[in-house]
Amino acid sequence: MQDQPGADSAFQFEGTWQEFAPIAFTNLLLTIVTLGIYRFWATARERRYLWSRSRFVDENLEWAGTGKELLIGFALAAIVFLLPFFIISQVAQALVLRGQEALGGLLTLVSFLAIFYLAGVARFRALRYRLSRTRWRGIRGGSDTQGWQFGLSYMWKTFVGYLPLGLLVPWSMVSLWNERWSKMSFGPHQFTSEADQGPVFVRYLLFYLAPFLMFFGLTIGGAMFGGAFGMMSDGDVDPDAIGAGFIIGILLFVFGFYFVLGLIAVAFYAAFYREVVGAMRWNSVGFSFTASTKEWIMLLLGDVVLVVFTLGIGYIFLSYRHWKFFITHLEADGEIMLDELTQSTTATSKHGEGLLDAFDVGAI
Amino acid sequence: MEETASPPGVLPANWYDGVSAVRHEGTARLSGESALVLEEAGQPALNVPLGDLVSGGALASQLLYQRVSQPDFRLRLPLDLPPDFATALPQRRKYGGWVDRMGLGKAVIAFTAVSAAAVALFMTAPEWLGPMVPPAWERQIGDAMVGDLGGKLCHTPAGDAAMAKMLAAVDPAETKVRAGVANSGMVNAVALPGGQVMLFDGLVQQAETPEELAGVLGHEVGHVRERHVMTAILRQFGLSILLAGADSGIGNTAFGIASLGYSREAEREADEYARARMAAADISPLGAAAFFERLGGGRDDEDGQENGEENSEDAREENALIGWIASHPSSGERAKAYRNAATEGKDYPPVLTDEEFAALQSMCDEDEDVEEFDLF
Repeated sequence: MQDQPGADSAFQFEGTWQEFAPIAFTNLLLTIVTLGIYRFWATARERRYLWSRSRFVDENLEWAGTGKELLIGFALAAIVFLLPFFIISQVAQALVLRGQEALGGLLTLVSFLAIFYLAGVARFRALRYRLSRTRWRGIRGGSDTQGWQFGLSYMWKTFVGYLPLGLLVPWSMVSLWNERWSKMSFGPHQFTSEADQGPVFVRYLLFYLAPFLMFFGLTIGGAMFGGAFGMMSDGDVDPDAIGAGFIIGILLFVFGFYFVLGLIAVAFYAAFYREVVGAMRWNSVGFSFTASTKEWIMLLLGDVVLVVFTLGIGYIFLSYRHWKFFITHLEADGEIMLDELTQSTTATSKHGEGLLDAFDVGAI
Repeated sequence: MEETASPPGVLPANWYDGVSAVRHEGTARLSGESALVLEEAGQPALNVPLGDLVSGGALASQLLYQRVSQPDFRLRLPLDLPPDFATALPQRRKYGGWVDRMGLGKAVIAFTAVSAAAVALFMTAPEWLGPMVPPAWERQIGDAMVGDLGGKLCHTPAGDAAMAKMLAAVDPAETKVRAGVANSGMVNAVALPGGQVMLFDGLVQQAETPEELAGVLGHEVGHVRERHVMTAILRQFGLSILLAGADSGIGNTAFGIASLGYSREAEREADEYARARMAAADISPLGAAAFFERLGGGRDDEDGQENGEENSEDAREENALIGWIASHPSSGERAKAYRNAATEGKDYPPVLTDEEFAALQSMCDEDEDVEEFDLF
């Protein structure tokens, strides 16, 4: 038996927000009345819905994770990592208070290094967890490794990435993506990822170029605005009004600076995801991610509008929007031999992405 | 997929065995009360015990079931189950085990009640848990938090003796709290975790009579004896749990507790303790009353010229007083309470002799080894 991914798109999203709304609102209600404990079940319920409405070729995905295992993962992370960290930081501060600054500082440094390392491990394990709980035609994914090695890579590559004025950040991101996905599998087949940092790097350079351009452009603009504001008051040039106008100009400049920086970040991430997803393969299936910078901006603007105009309630729909965005822009081509697609032999953890939860970083 | 009309008692079904990605398409029928039989053309029938099935919730147009014995097995049946199937198969999972069993409405009410109780328990825990902690534990916790302040407390033989005498008057218990004068110009006094009471040298210098100091010392000892310190530690600890992740530096915490951790009620209790001890030890409460009046600016004309201070110096110290006032109840009311506690016409013996009081006041000047007391 053989399946050709459809001509349209191998990935399709079939959900509607009307269907999602009752889930989101009851989740919110239950999360509030349980003082947040229901959050884990809310996440599982939300994912069950989103996965079940995501079609790959001719069958929908299934989320097989449970709220209980997310809770266990969180509790484990709290006991095994957060508690020791809390104790160490208290001990370090007590040491500093007793005049043992060097020892206290060393202890703090070591604990931050440990967190840095664990954040890397957490990223790996979150992806592994999500693949291991994703079913397609009854088959799941996973990884044969635990991510301890990846944690080390994450540490040194991130560090080296920032070393030469941050110029190697794209390299570290792309390289870590390749490393992480190459350790993952779905069914019997390994994922491969051979993304190149070149295309991403060009976008990244905008970060360095932009401040100079913006500085000149906006300073001149700000000064002119300030002058114009001063003149506007009554024909004559009023020095006070020039001052006020100049301050407004500076505020506009600061605002504009962050706005432009935000746009560059979006442009960078758009290029990044196109490159890294496009370089991924799974057996004979290749992937691509088609979202353009403009589409990313529309997504984020939509998020802002949704949240602001609903006085924050719209926040509960963001996960839906993001997942829909992800699935609709994800493409795949190639062929899948269903007979060969057998169950994954990877070990699955019994608990959820607690470590990741603890460090609050995204999985993908 | 076209829906073929099935005979009664038989449902269209499809399933994955969890071993390969090949889909099995066929029918499901109940076999007695204990099993579901899945049949596919050209394949042997599959007998699934009903007890082995659990609900996996619902997909877009199908109900999902898993097998306990084969976690990767997936069976999908139509959304609208006939009554006999509906009763035989496990209940559809929706919100999660407890909520599904209780129903959403009941679960929300139950969770709200439990949460409210938990919040109430958590909020009041410091008040009833604090006094239950053995003082020895509090001392250890406090020492761990504060560390050794020995080097920053002023010591002279005569000053120590005077302090011990004053402490004995306001703290008759067998195991005394530890009290000392901290080498700091701040006009303040604190009860630190671990039953450690400190008068700051700035406050000692401000005092005009030993009775004033006895009042303040008695007040701070009251905080320790009434277990306010432990209560405040627990409250702070609870807050830091709530604000998990927010910075809760231990140094800041310890002194934060000491300087603004007590409720109005606790301050009142500490005052009552001080007045009771002073009455028992025959110490005039009028000194403390005068002190609070000065703090509150009630008697501005009594300026402190006797130490040769300049006016600017006065102004600076007046500002320093604000710290103590801000964290304590209205000085006027307190002064009145202390004044009322005095027995009319009674002649109280002085709590310290002039020499002892002078030794206390010169303690920080004369101690050459003492370090500057620096809070932050």
